[in-house]
Amino acid sequence: MLQAVTSLSQGVHRPDDRAVTSDLTVDESLLLHALGWEPVDLVFGVSVTAVQAGAWTWGRGQLQSPSDAHNLAVSTASSRLRQECAAVGGHGVVGVRAGVEIHPRHVDVALVGTAVRPIGSDRPPVQPFVSGLSARDFALLAAAGWSPIGLAFGASFVYAPRRDAATALRQSRQNVELTNPTQALYAAREAAMERMQASGLALGAQGVVGVQIAEGPMTFARHVIGFTARGTAVRLLAGEHRTITPDIVLPLNDAVVQFEAEALRGRR
Amino acid sequence: MTGPSDLPSGAEHRLEELRGGFFTSDLSVNEFLLVKEAGFHPLGFVMGSSIYHTGFQGRRWSKSQELTKLTEAMYNARELAMTRMEEEADELGADGVVGVRLDVNYYEWGSDAAEFIALGTAVKAEDGKSYRNRLGKPFTSDLSGQDFWTIMQTGHIPQGLVMGTCVYHIAHRGLGQALSSVGQNVELPNFTQALYEARELAMTRMQDEGTRLGATGIVGVRLEEKSHQWGSHTIEFLSIGTAVTKTGEVSLPKPTVIISLDN
Repeated sequence: MLQAVTSLSQGVHRPDDRAVTSDLTVDESLLLHALGWEPVDLVFGVSVTAVQAGAWTWGRGQLQSPSDAHNLAVSTASSRLRQECAAVGGHGVVGVRAGVEIHPRHVDVALVGTAVRPIGSDRPPVQPFVSGLSARDFALLAAAGWSPIGLAFGASFVYAPRRDAATALRQSRQNVELTNPTQALYAAREAAMERMQASGLALGAQGVVGVQIAEGPMTFARHVIGFTARGTAVRLLAGEHRTITPDIVLPLNDAVVQFEAEALRGRR
Repeated sequence: MTGPSDLPSGAEHRLEELRGGFFTSDLSVNEFLLVKEAGFHPLGFVMGSSIYHTGFQGRRWSKSQELTKLTEAMYNARELAMTRMEEEADELGADGVVGVRLDVNYYEWGSDAAEFIALGTAVKAEDGKSYRNRLGKPFTSDLSGQDFWTIMQTGHIPQGLVMGTCVYHIAHRGLGQALSSVGQNVELPNFTQALYEARELAMTRMQDEGTRLGATGIVGVRLEEKSHQWGSHTIEFLSIGTAVTKTGEVSLPKPTVIISLDN
């Protein structure tokens, strides 16, 4: 498989008459064309990185090995995505979907998106952008004078010590905060957010939008609290932000209000 | 763990970067642009959380009653999460927090323990005026960026996320009662009444919080009914919404009527 990746990234140059592959919807392709952009090809970036044996079991405090593995996997996958994009002549990748899986011994990252370029352009930039936002969002941002740059991400895994038996027994009938996991969650969150910010700043971004987080104990190591954060780093291209004044519309589609018995009980 | 001063080491550095103009936000692009259009700039993604152990309270099989200890726990834990989020926003010099989500997650932390988490995007007004609520704190609101823009256009300002909760135990029916209704279409008055009472308590408590903020109304109220992990006869009623005050005139243009070609 690696062979395929290498051969792709070394650039089989796309003849201009080849059919375009993209996972954009019809609306999104039309919108891109309206902006003067076109989809080029579907591109991928994949990386699997090893986590040190015993890292989850024996680690205390911040677990370095898993967060390094996460960091390396995401950055390798996204640079492969850029390489593929450059190889097909794209200026950037939009609508990147990320599959990130953390396993006891390895971290899997798979990124897939559609490479786009200004219509007819054959001179790709040195550093294509990568955006987790849809083509529609790309168009909206462009209208407001912003441009996506790359993915900003961070992860942290922190060991939370258990309560000792006497404390657990004493607290069994009380309303109390559990300080160990709370503190571990805070530490994990702080480190992950800081790493995400640092990766955004390293890209020269002014902000990160569409941040998604995942937090909680790891399924295979319950005493470890993980926090991962990921978003799209953006930069203001125009001199200043251009406000977009929305029109208020009232769609006259068929009524969509349906009676749902479950909704009455608040259990939708 | 009560305030930003208790944030782990490294937090200061992160907040410093955010004060320097770099922002993070979980708003979508639409929401980001609408918040900008409403005259606010996102400052940072803020969060408060607490992992909380709820105590135990005995219940009587045939008596409908509020379980005050559990109600207190739900209040206390949510309050901890919300306050911590507000403190972070305060630390950033924010005027408010939009798109607040308040979740309860159950993991295997041990029995009766749950994670309460509040997340949102801290924003600051670009015109330099203060939009803090009358307690001098940043306002909080669970309205989306779209709703936030719309509500601002109608001359309202969000004051705070208000909530009321009530954990209620609903009595089981006695054997006699169960037998007497076999094969009949009848209302089960004790169940109905218990549900009404619990809902009423939750709604009243939410309204009280609104009044304390000097709100003229509460919008986007949701009523959630959850059993969490207490079994079928113990239910938490949670009502939650955004308290708003009316300050200006409506500047919302008349909506254009469209027939969309989407299906």
